[in-house]
Amino acid sequence: MTSLILPAPQEIVNLAVRIITSRTFFEVVFFPGFLNVMLSAAFLTWLERKVLARVQLRIGPLYAGPSGILQPIADGVKLMFKQMIFPELADMKLLMLCALGLMLLAFAPAVAIPFGEGLVIANMDVGLVYVFAVMSLFPSVILLIGWGSNSKYPFLGGLRSLFQQVAYEVPMWLSVLGIVMMTGTLNLTKIVEAQQRLWFVIPQILGFAVFFTAALAELERTPFDLPEAESELVMGWMTELTGPAFMLGFLAMYAKLYIMSALITTLFLGGWSGFGFVPQPVWFVLKTFIVASVIIIIRGAFPRVRVDILLRAGWTRLLLLALANIFVTVALIISGLGWVWRI
Amino acid sequence: MVDIAFLAISGLIIVSAIFALEVKELIYGAVGLAFSLIGVAGLFILLGADYVAMFQISVYVGAVVVLILFTIMLVRRESGKIVEQEEPSRLGRGGALVAGLVALAMAGAVIMLMPGSVEAPALYQVTLRELGRSLASSYAVPLVILGLLIGATVVGGLTLVKVEREEKSDGATQ
Repeated sequence: MTSLILPAPQEIVNLAVRIITSRTFFEVVFFPGFLNVMLSAAFLTWLERKVLARVQLRIGPLYAGPSGILQPIADGVKLMFKQMIFPELADMKLLMLCALGLMLLAFAPAVAIPFGEGLVIANMDVGLVYVFAVMSLFPSVILLIGWGSNSKYPFLGGLRSLFQQVAYEVPMWLSVLGIVMMTGTLNLTKIVEAQQRLWFVIPQILGFAVFFTAALAELERTPFDLPEAESELVMGWMTELTGPAFMLGFLAMYAKLYIMSALITTLFLGGWSGFGFVPQPVWFVLKTFIVASVIIIIRGAFPRVRVDILLRAGWTRLLLLALANIFVTVALIISGLGWVWRI
Repeated sequence: MVDIAFLAISGLIIVSAIFALEVKELIYGAVGLAFSLIGVAGLFILLGADYVAMFQISVYVGAVVVLILFTIMLVRRESGKIVEQEEPSRLGRGGALVAGLVALAMAGAVIMLMPGSVEAPALYQVTLRELGRSLASSYAVPLVILGLLIGATVVGGLTLVKVEREEKSDGATQ
């Protein structure tokens, strides 16, 4: 019987302790990783309700905790224990799988985004392309949710989401090309380091405008929130998701908002760089939440655009602006200003 | 470590590919294909070609699978019903037999010709800079021709759409 090789219990405990106390474990589970994205997404739901309430001269969540900050947790607990009701012919397995997949996709880009100097889970050389590659998987999962619900509103919402995200992916990729040309790298850490003297929002103002607009469309936020236009499509592709599945899908979209804001901060707003004794991650998260707040305020201030306007603007105007940005960048590089953003 | 990863990824590719072929519901087939293609991206990462892996994911999983899903949804039958499978014809059976024999013969040839052990060549990690240099210098002509080909495809597609629309509007006015 002793031939069966099992490590001694002491060794297993030692190994577990070594894993738990390691830096990677902390990074994956707590700070730049899982818990950070999860809590930030929950916080963003509160921030959105509060900011929109202020825009509309209301008060917003009030009773759970100081100014209602515990409201997301209360909502989460409520949704966790709600009954799951699906249409009779809906594909329940597919819906649950896709809701989980959305959550996974929303967390995955956090791996490559640097929250501070060296504070990144995987310092990839192709970090920027990785983030975009993961983001490009969203439309297929959303389309599957729309199809699996077997109901017309989610299906229409899923189709709209597909058209919109595929159309705006193109200007999005092209708008960051200017930054890649200036820095000569796809590594997000190096891109942040190149902004120590001057944030890229200034030389890349055109690229920033295009990226921000495309990000709004990718996030399905107003003025591009056609996929969940509540006056026509109830709740878009999320209509038939109930209880825990709804919570997963909803939280995933807010996690995506957080990640997209973090990406805008990384690419255009100098990432973790700041001044004073405030630690770098605090700067980074602060900038990220400011970007997210701007996106939220836009929801309170702008009406929704029509589908044909959205698609035409994406394929003609935005694409041309992104291409123009590339030429402007070439002119900047040739003009000998390269020392400003050299690492 | 790499071996375990290689085996796991290969298992994922093979199982999801078989799933994609065998499953009754076409949508699940597309999902299986997506997983299989993600597995191929994993193989690229193991081979040190991160850049290719990322584009494998964004182009194949992000675009091609979406196209397949969309096509299925356009032509799909009533959902929830399973199509009754027809008995394969005699010609179909014969074809399957021939295909199986050819596959067996090829597998046999590969196994017989395989030396006892193969030294894995050292991984050569291509940096993005080198890739860009070689694309712009030694592979410049193929790159331009590929660009022309894609451009011609886009123009062709747009022309087809436009011609159809004009025909339709003609019909409406008559």
